Amino acid sequence: MSRIILEAREIRYRYPRGMEAIQGISFHIRKGEKIALVGPNGAGKSTLMLMFNGMIRPDSGAILFDNVPVSYDKGSLRKLRKRVGFVLQNPDRQIIAPTVYQDVAFGPVNLGYSESEIKTAVTEALRYVGLEGFERRPPHLLSGGEKKRVAIAGVLAMDPDLLVFDEPTSGLDPSGSEDIMELLDELNLQGKTIIISTHDIELAYPWADRAILLLEGKILQEAIPDVAFGRPEYVRQAHLSMPILLDIYFELKKRGYMLPERKPRTVLDMLQVIDVAFEKTPCCHAFPGTISVFDVDSSPHDSLPGWLASHPDSSIGAMGTRAKQHAADTQITLDFTYGVIDKCILRAIIGESSLILTSTGMVRRVEQRVLEFDTISGISVPVRLIGP
Amino acid sequence: MYEKFLEDIAQANGLREVNTYVKLMAGLGAIILCLLSTSFIAPLFIAILLTGAIILLAQVDMRTYAELFIVPFWFAAMSVIVIILLSGGSEVYWSWTPFSWLSISISVESLNEGIFVFCRVIGGMAALIFIALTTPMTDLFIVMRRCRVPEVVLDLVMMIYRAIFMIMHLLVLTYQAQVMRLGYSSFRESIESFATLCGSVFIASWDAGEDLVRAMDARCYAGKFAMFGETGPVNSYSLVAVGLFLLTSSVIVVITRDIVVI
Repeated sequence: MSRIILEAREIRYRYPRGMEAIQGISFHIRKGEKIALVGPNGAGKSTLMLMFNGMIRPDSGAILFDNVPVSYDKGSLRKLRKRVGFVLQNPDRQIIAPTVYQDVAFGPVNLGYSESEIKTAVTEALRYVGLEGFERRPPHLLSGGEKKRVAIAGVLAMDPDLLVFDEPTSGLDPSGSEDIMELLDELNLQGKTIIISTHDIELAYPWADRAILLLEGKILQEAIPDVAFGRPEYVRQAHLSMPILLDIYFELKKRGYMLPERKPRTVLDMLQVIDVAFEKTPCCHAFPGTISVFDVDSSPHDSLPGWLASHPDSSIGAMGTRAKQHAADTQITLDFTYGVIDKCILRAIIGESSLILTSTGMVRRVEQRVLEFDTISGISVPVRLIGP
Repeated sequence: MYEKFLEDIAQANGLREVNTYVKLMAGLGAIILCLLSTSFIAPLFIAILLTGAIILLAQVDMRTYAELFIVPFWFAAMSVIVIILLSGGSEVYWSWTPFSWLSISISVESLNEGIFVFCRVIGGMAALIFIALTTPMTDLFIVMRRCRVPEVVLDLVMMIYRAIFMIMHLLVLTYQAQVMRLGYSSFRESIESFATLCGSVFIASWDAGEDLVRAMDARCYAGKFAMFGETGPVNSYSLVAVGLFLLTSSVIVVITRDIVVI
């Protein structure tokens, strides 16, 4: 298990002349975890999150970052805020400067980076969120999703270890939300710890490693998502709804089907559950289709058109911002942009081949996920890397 | 209420990528030449050429440009009528005596003077509008920095710039909410609605201001406001075009210095 990066010890907070928003909360978060903080409006999610980077100081109890209690003098707060990036719910409230470049550069400039370091940090952050070429645009001419990305880039430019997102998908269209969630996945793969607060159970359920249910300033439940969201009484109390896949799983179980213990988190998992329930052989085809992987960072780009020409029937998915950018640049029409690996495995099961465009860091993720599927299902889906 | 800002037009204009200094050189140079000229021809030439540049090169919609131009145009026209009628001269060009006690006359000098002033005004206006429509504020910040405008002033200018759009957005939202609930249906109602609009936008912008401070704190604000970014590189083609424009205008200023309308 990795080390603890953030810990709360019995913290309490009362708004001036108001009600007690946080009523004794303790938890810890380990490095590299993906945490979803869920709860109804007014449960204290935002207040709690503002404590993670020292914007609010708890009345009693302590917040520990990297096993050191947070101290609230100016110098320590600056150090803390460099390591804990906070993305507000409303990007309009976070974007300060008149152009995208200046806004993303705000953090690095104030951290005293040199001019060339600032330039590298900003370019890198903008590339990461897929906003290259937006440097000179003023924020008020951007769309909601783009503003959100600028806000994220502004935080990424400071290279924090822990990223806190207050409602990262609020106000975005479904595809925009999926893009953001995938961006969070990508960041997590790079070793960043991520905490989000959300109402969107369907997005949080497959994404999170752990979910913390908050209600009236207290922790109602803290567990892996299928446990946290799998108790109807808790879900009702927290004004949430059960994820649809879990709902189906429990309904099947009530009808007396024999189901695997592992609860489904994705459509692919659900299909496996159904296969088990109805005692079907999982694979309709004797030979599953191949999943080809193209690494947009290191594979030679000229090998792709030839592959596409020789495999016209393959479905194509892209994982990560750079891969999507590459697809847009080379005018490849994408069939999947979210949950790509699972979608491709689903294709493979029915004997169809597919292609995943992705960046170097994510190639391993594809192999892991397919291997995980192979061991559970007993089917072996071939994965091939295009290029050398 | 839902108008496009000049700034938005400037952000999307066809000359956006041309180096800011080159554009400023064209605009400011034109204004100076308009002031130096002693004849109406050079300012008129500048006005026509810059109007052409705004519409053809910067691809600003002709209607927008006309709307911008019409207000100063009428203002200039009316002032010029007064100048023509009131300033004196020795050679009478036209006169009219409707009553024995009233006579209106225009002298050749006053007519020349009026047309000269009018052309100067539209020449200068065209140059100013040229700058406003082709050079967004965000690019001017970089120039201001180069010109050693104090940091404090620059920080303020940039925050005000951002705040203008933020508050405008709040204003539009609140106004729409009021109109949807028939806020401006009668005169009385309008006054009340306007008062609440002012009040709520004031409070909302106060809130936004506090959030801004918090956002800056959360990103390690230490008294420095990011101030980087570059303008497009100096393109030899645009530099030659501007040089040619200024040179031709200067030559016209010199050779037409004694030319008058009549």
